[in-house]
Amino acid sequence: MIRLEGLTKRFGEREAVCSLSLEIARGEVFGLLGPNGAGKTTTISMMIGTLPPTSGDVHIDGKSLVDDPSLRRRVGVAPQALALYEDLTARENLAFFGGLYGLGGRELNAAVDGALEMVGLRDRAGDRSETFSGGMQRRLNLAAALVHGPDVLLLDEPTAGVDPQSRNSIIELVRSLKARGTTIVYTTHYMEEAQKLCDRVGVMDRGSMLALGTIHELLKDHGGDSVVVYHDEHGEQKIVTRDPAAEVARLIERGVRSGLRIDRPDLESVFLNLTGRALRDGGAE
Amino acid sequence: MNAIIRIAMKDLRLLARDRADAFFTFVFPLLIALFFGYVFGGGDGERSAMPVAVVNEDGGAASKWFVEQLSKAGGIEAKPAETREAGERLVRKGDAAACVIVPKDFEDSTKKVFSGGGMQLEAIIDPKRSAEAGLLEGRLNELGFRQLARTFTDSSMMNSFLDSAREDVSKSTGLSPLQKGIFGTFFDSVSSLTREVTSKSAPGETMNGAVGESGGGFRPVTVTMHELRMDPNSPNNSFAVSFPQGVVWGLMGCVMAFGVSLVQERRRGTLLRLCVAPITRNQILLGKAAACFASCVIVQVILLVVARLMGVRIGHPSIMASAVLVSSVGFTGVMMLLAGLSRSEGAAQGFGRALLLVLALIGGGSIPLFFMPRLMQQISSVSPFKWATISIENGLWRADGWDAMLLPGGVLLGIGVIGFLVGWAAMRRWSPT
Ligand SMILES: Nc1ncnc2c1ncn2[C@@H]1O[C@H](COP(=O)(O)OP(=O)(O)OP(=O)(O)O)[C@@H](O)[C@H]1O
Ligand SMILES: [Mg+2]
Repeated sequence: MIRLEGLTKRFGEREAVCSLSLEIARGEVFGLLGPNGAGKTTTISMMIGTLPPTSGDVHIDGKSLVDDPSLRRRVGVAPQALALYEDLTARENLAFFGGLYGLGGRELNAAVDGALEMVGLRDRAGDRSETFSGGMQRRLNLAAALVHGPDVLLLDEPTAGVDPQSRNSIIELVRSLKARGTTIVYTTHYMEEAQKLCDRVGVMDRGSMLALGTIHELLKDHGGDSVVVYHDEHGEQKIVTRDPAAEVARLIERGVRSGLRIDRPDLESVFLNLTGRALRDGGAE
Repeated sequence: MNAIIRIAMKDLRLLARDRADAFFTFVFPLLIALFFGYVFGGGDGERSAMPVAVVNEDGGAASKWFVEQLSKAGGIEAKPAETREAGERLVRKGDAAACVIVPKDFEDSTKKVFSGGGMQLEAIIDPKRSAEAGLLEGRLNELGFRQLARTFTDSSMMNSFLDSAREDVSKSTGLSPLQKGIFGTFFDSVSSLTREVTSKSAPGETMNGAVGESGGGFRPVTVTMHELRMDPNSPNNSFAVSFPQGVVWGLMGCVMAFGVSLVQERRRGTLLRLCVAPITRNQILLGKAAACFASCVIVQVILLVVARLMGVRIGHPSIMASAVLVSSVGFTGVMMLLAGLSRSEGAAQGFGRALLLVLALIGGGSIPLFFMPRLMQQISSVSPFKWATISIENGLWRADGWDAMLLPGGVLLGIGVIGFLVGWAAMRRWSPT
């Protein structure tokens, strides 16, 4: 459904995205992971057509968003930077954006109510968005992407700066959209979100896709070793192993039971293994 | 079309919500207009004595007395003028609020208070000081009562008054002999009453106040008011000068509000949403332009309505309508130019406002164009505000008709089209992020 072919973006000397090729299936939730400055937002911007690629192509259903306005009607975007009119109320914001997609009258009202309901902002609908907390603005930003009922959603860090409650409700919302068959591209720094939501994950750094696959595949290929932990008379012991099950069986045979557990690699370790542990402030130069 | 209107409505709503923007667009120009209007003398109610030019064309005793009384009357500063023209000049120069003319047959008219329509006076008034003219008319009537009282209490004057009345009655064809007889008896008794009164008091005193203050509905003086003949190149009211100035500031407010709003859309990310919506760039820009145009029209209409309430005559309504439209087109172009060429909100706010401020000041925003020295008037031609001011003045009080709209109208439409195209070309290259 979404197809990236050799997608490249250069800002002067700096290559923000280099030669990205990728295909995302209909109804799939695709997670784009990567440290700050990896090139996630640049990729999304090229997908939605607001940033022209230096080379390469993006196609959605075989068409380009830039050339085909009717295709834009089917796509919803939640930008990483909040994009709202602060002097308008939540309802007015959504009604304006919904109106741009050709909704009107009763249909628009219903769509606005529905979107407000989905992000849990119904009772604040009449307040100006500038009076909202960061988390509420983030949810309204998401609602503005949903109001016209798109079947492709591009969400750039939809949970940035929100509390655990809001994050959970956003994750639940994305799940319900997925259940309806919406194709979703989701960027995040939070591995647990990707683990809960995504069918496949791509880990990016310095403009390149370092790994791509299902969670299971990534864990297998890039998660590294598991750690088997147990207690004996000397205290806590750890065994690093590729095959934790066999190691546990061996320990049980030896009669070791106390404090026995397996620390399996998670996406976090995949991420850190792939991108290294150095800080990425100020980009990847 | 629908998207353009949606964007325009959203922008007008945002403008109304932003108190500072709304203030500078709609209220500030009004305050400027009212302030300068009062400074130029339109609302001047404090002056202690009203200067009035007085022309005595009659020269008889009654007229001399009347003029003398006028000079003594409180609140009036009589300025003798030789001729009607000289008096009119004083008014036009603003040295007198009005010019009172005591016409040739004034003496006769005093004797025909009841039969001939009363004392005849003429006045030339400055329309922009019509409040003072009303005051003057009251004073003239008061003096008329005194004149009348003087007639009653002066037996020789009374007798000549009665003689002329007797003559009128006897000549009258509409009266039956019986009625003529009744009038004759009435005149005789008035005559003897007058003799009795005058023997007991000095002429001109006893009845002055009494009659003067109980004047009620009867007006002994008929003042024929002439408005000062309009100099084709001067406004009719000081607000007619200050309201075009208000328009300058209103247009500037609109340009700033919308010029900045386009840059803001980009900075706040909402331009991105507009760009991913199924509408074209042209619709986005046309929506902005439509909102700017609409608010330019609205601010001018508000100013004109208030100007109307302040007594400004809109001399040529159809020219005025076209002036409002062409200046709105012109300044929508200026807005597009400002937005297109400003890379950042700071540039639009700082550089844009500074440049517009200078253009507004030299374009008639502070000193009215026709007060400016010639060189300044020439320099001011670079300011689009000058052409808007001239257009508005054409509609208000300039008497040069449609021909005079060609140049300013053409300049404004040109600025509108060029500004729109240049701004549009620049903004098409904008990326929303
Ligand atoms: N307009 C631009 N001009 C120049 N460089 C840019 C521009 N936009 C992005 N970049 C550079 O491209 C690289 C990728 O940036 P991008 O915003 O795509 O990262 P990201 O993965 O979204 O990071 P984050 O997680 O912090 O949002 C960065 O090095 C950034 O400095
Ligand atoms: Mg980003």
